Amino acid sequence: MDLIRGTLDMLVLKALSWGPMHGLGVLRWIEGTTRERLQVEEGALYPALHRMERKGWLAAEWGISENNRKAKYYRLTPAGRRQLFEEQSRWASYSHAVHLVLTAESAP
Amino acid sequence: MTDHEQNDRLGRGARRAFRLPRRGARVEAQVDEELEFHMRGRVEELIAAGRSREEAEAEVRRRFGDVDRWRREAATIDRGQARQERMADVVDTLRRETRQAARALTRAPGFTLVAALTLALGLGAATAIFAVLDSVVLRPLPYPDADRLVWMDHRVPGVGENDRWNLGMINYFDFRDNVPSLASLAVYYETGLNVAIPGGDPARVRGAMVSASTFPTLGAGNAAVGRLLNDADNAPGAEPVAVLGYAFWRSAYGADPGVVERKMEVEGRSVRVVGVAPPGAVLPQSATDVWMPLTMDPVQAARVNQHTYSAIGRLTDGATIERLQGQLEARERQFPELYPAAYSANFMTSTGFQPSVEPLHEHVVGAAVTRTLWIMFGAVGLVLLVACAHVANLFLVRMEARRRETALRAALGASRGRLALRSLTESLLLAAGAAVVGLVVAYAAIRALVALAPPSLPRLEAIHLGWPHVAFVLLLALAVGVVMGVVPALRRGVDLGALRDGARGMTSSRQRNAVRGALVVGQVALSLVLLAAGGLMLRSAARLHAVSPGFDPEHVLVLDVAMPQGTYGWNEYAKAAAVHRTFQRELARVSGVVGVGAVNDVPMSGAWGCSGMGFEDASVEGACTPMRAVSPGYFEVMRIPIVRGQAPTWDEVAGGTNGVVISQALAEHFWPGQDPIGRAVKANTDRPPFFRVVGVTGDVRVDGLEKPPTEVVYFPMVADSGLYMWGAARNVSVTVRTSTEDAASILAAARRIMRDLDPSIVVDNARWMDGIVAASLSRTTLAMLLLGVAAGMALLLSAVGIYGVIAYLVGQRRAEIGIRMALGAPAARVGREVVLGALRLALVGVVLGLVAAVATMRLLQSLLFDVSPMDPLTLGGVAILLLLLAALASWIPARRASRVPPMEALRG
Repeated sequence: MDLIRGTLDMLVLKALSWGPMHGLGVLRWIEGTTRERLQVEEGALYPALHRMERKGWLAAEWGISENNRKAKYYRLTPAGRRQLFEEQSRWASYSHAVHLVLTAESAP
Repeated sequence: MTDHEQNDRLGRGARRAFRLPRRGARVEAQVDEELEFHMRGRVEELIAAGRSREEAEAEVRRRFGDVDRWRREAATIDRGQARQERMADVVDTLRRETRQAARALTRAPGFTLVAALTLALGLGAATAIFAVLDSVVLRPLPYPDADRLVWMDHRVPGVGENDRWNLGMINYFDFRDNVPSLASLAVYYETGLNVAIPGGDPARVRGAMVSASTFPTLGAGNAAVGRLLNDADNAPGAEPVAVLGYAFWRSAYGADPGVVERKMEVEGRSVRVVGVAPPGAVLPQSATDVWMPLTMDPVQAARVNQHTYSAIGRLTDGATIERLQGQLEARERQFPELYPAAYSANFMTSTGFQPSVEPLHEHVVGAAVTRTLWIMFGAVGLVLLVACAHVANLFLVRMEARRRETALRAALGASRGRLALRSLTESLLLAAGAAVVGLVVAYAAIRALVALAPPSLPRLEAIHLGWPHVAFVLLLALAVGVVMGVVPALRRGVDLGALRDGARGMTSSRQRNAVRGALVVGQVALSLVLLAAGGLMLRSAARLHAVSPGFDPEHVLVLDVAMPQGTYGWNEYAKAAAVHRTFQRELARVSGVVGVGAVNDVPMSGAWGCSGMGFEDASVEGACTPMRAVSPGYFEVMRIPIVRGQAPTWDEVAGGTNGVVISQALAEHFWPGQDPIGRAVKANTDRPPFFRVVGVTGDVRVDGLEKPPTEVVYFPMVADSGLYMWGAARNVSVTVRTSTEDAASILAAARRIMRDLDPSIVVDNARWMDGIVAASLSRTTLAMLLLGVAAGMALLLSAVGIYGVIAYLVGQRRAEIGIRMALGAPAARVGREVVLGALRLALVGVVLGLVAAVATMRLLQSLLFDVSPMDPLTLGGVAILLLLLAALASWIPARRASRVPPMEALRG
């Protein structure tokens, strides 16, 4: 299943809400959580990360990974946390609306 | 914590502090590193899951997608961010530096005020003169394709080296049809016209008699109302028509479009108004109220040799002045064959008659004015340099005072660049403030200049302060600010010794003092150049004012009297004579009037024309002699002495006398050592009756005090003599010697008298003769005034500069002086040493300035009168003046030095 446009940001913000991660970590978390049901062209993650960094939602720092390599870690800023909250509630009301339509039982 | 984290946590300031590379420089490398980490991790995952390395790598690449694209996108985003941060850094630094510079400047209000005002004066003066130079000399004339307009006239080296003759009417017809480089040709002359404006008295307005081609030649466009002139209007016998000037139409007719087709009275004749000229229709240098067609008859034109028409040509595309010149010369070489009645071969060779073409702009502005304005520009440039030297000196002194602060900042790690930035911001801020004040100064200076400028200064009305001039002052201020901010910072090694306790100013840096000394020397040298220029102009003006014009201009009022041509025709001398005689007799009876006379043009009111004349028994051939028509009474009113014989009386004039009065210079030229009384004067004719000399007058300088006395023949005005003095009887200037200052009451009385005689005759333009003389001197006066002000400013700045430096040096040497005085040095000797030190500096400046003055004063030659550009009195005088000033300026610090109480000085 392909990712619906514009939802990648939200998934990334959610991933990072657990704590600082590098890009690969974010991807692994999404894969694991969706049981590999969502297909993302992996490279698309990086422009998304950098864009959100520029917007001030994420802050980036270079660090050392679990297997002792240099890796760039992202962490949610307070602005990012607010953004995640907003996107979550928007998504919830959107999917609730779609759900209402698709499960409707009365004819027009 | 890794150093990267540290980097980020410390933020931009720390990155700068540690000279770490900025983000932007490493953007690509960092993105690569990040993507590589991702892919390596993925590959290892797959290998751990049992795939081969090749398989794993292929799979990771597939899943990742277009590596280049993602890499590029990420890097672009980062670069944007880096740029943003860099900008923020710069803005931040600038804001902080500006704030600190402003604070530093306000902490030293005395320094700031003196420095800013000095610079403002320098900048303002330079900008004002630049604006004048730009408006008058550099800008094109206000015509479309103005660079294609040329002024055409003739040189007549056989008559006079610098004499110019205008075009004859035959030139118009001949050139129009036979000169390919001319797209069109305008001929015209300007004249006052008596016009009856509806509901008002008859008025004298500015008229132009023009060829219809004048409008297209100037590129005037279409008529505002009705039509402009066409060739049929120029034809002989055409109905008299007129086109109103745009401004005149608005002021006299309230912009009423219904004026077209109406009749108006011009010079006593009825004329039909056919249109209103567009606002852009202007002759160079003058406004026109009424445009009327010349009568242009090609047959008649081929028979006369009269060069009375101003001419402007428009070049065709790609034509050059040189080519046009060649074509005109080729045409005129054929004139003796083509127009033998008017142009004999003898005439051509004896006069050296030759066409001359120059750009219209050059003709209007003139080489003399261009030169004068460039000289002024040079002078204000020097003043600006003196001002800059002065302010640079102030900066150095200030920097010295802040040596400890600077050293402290350097010790705490401020880089040299950072310290330079601080001094640069300060000087730029100061220069910016000075530029704003300078603009106000420039505006005021331009207003004053325009008010003071000679009315003869071309394009006076075009002088203004515009955006280019604002840009000029800003650029100039920027340059001045950068130079003053960077130069002292460049050569300053940071002297950490200043931090040591007690190291304060027992000795001072030799190098620094040398720079300060050099600035003072430069100031003195430049001031000497300016003072020399001002001094030479002053002496010139004094010499000029000492020259007697040959008449007494005090208390002489001049009134113009203009009779309409329709009523007073060319040959109706008796009619005009009767009016003039009665008018002048009645006017002489008005209280406050001492005497009345008249002349067709008063002296110094512009160039007098000349006419070919023969002199009986003369030892030399006459070339072209100025002639005037005067009424009885003129010589008495002007107090021009009659040295021999007598001028004709009114009764003789009425009786048709043939007596003329000549000037002494003319008598000595043509009849040296002989009695000229009774000799014949042949005015353009070889047949009797001739005129006879009845009197000789003292010489008059009619073209200006700087010109030699003019040889002139005074004909009897309004004598019925058959003399072809067109208009001389109709339009005259009446000279009135008065015992009152009230010009208006005399003008009113004159108008009252004339109204009773003939209400269609206009009396106006009352002005004082001494004013006319002053106006003829105004170019010299203005140059003197400007150079004088420039020299004064320079003098003041050098005096303050010398004082400042000497006072500072004395302050530095306080301790040393104290020791010497404690050891018994006499106070007088200490004081003398200080003064001598200042004189030494000044002397070097004076010597350098004298060298520069000798090299440059030649440029002033054309402005000088009877004074050599190397006048030893002036140069010696200003040198001594500057030395005295240096002595005086160092006197106060010297006194202070000699009164240093030794103990106090030692304690410091």
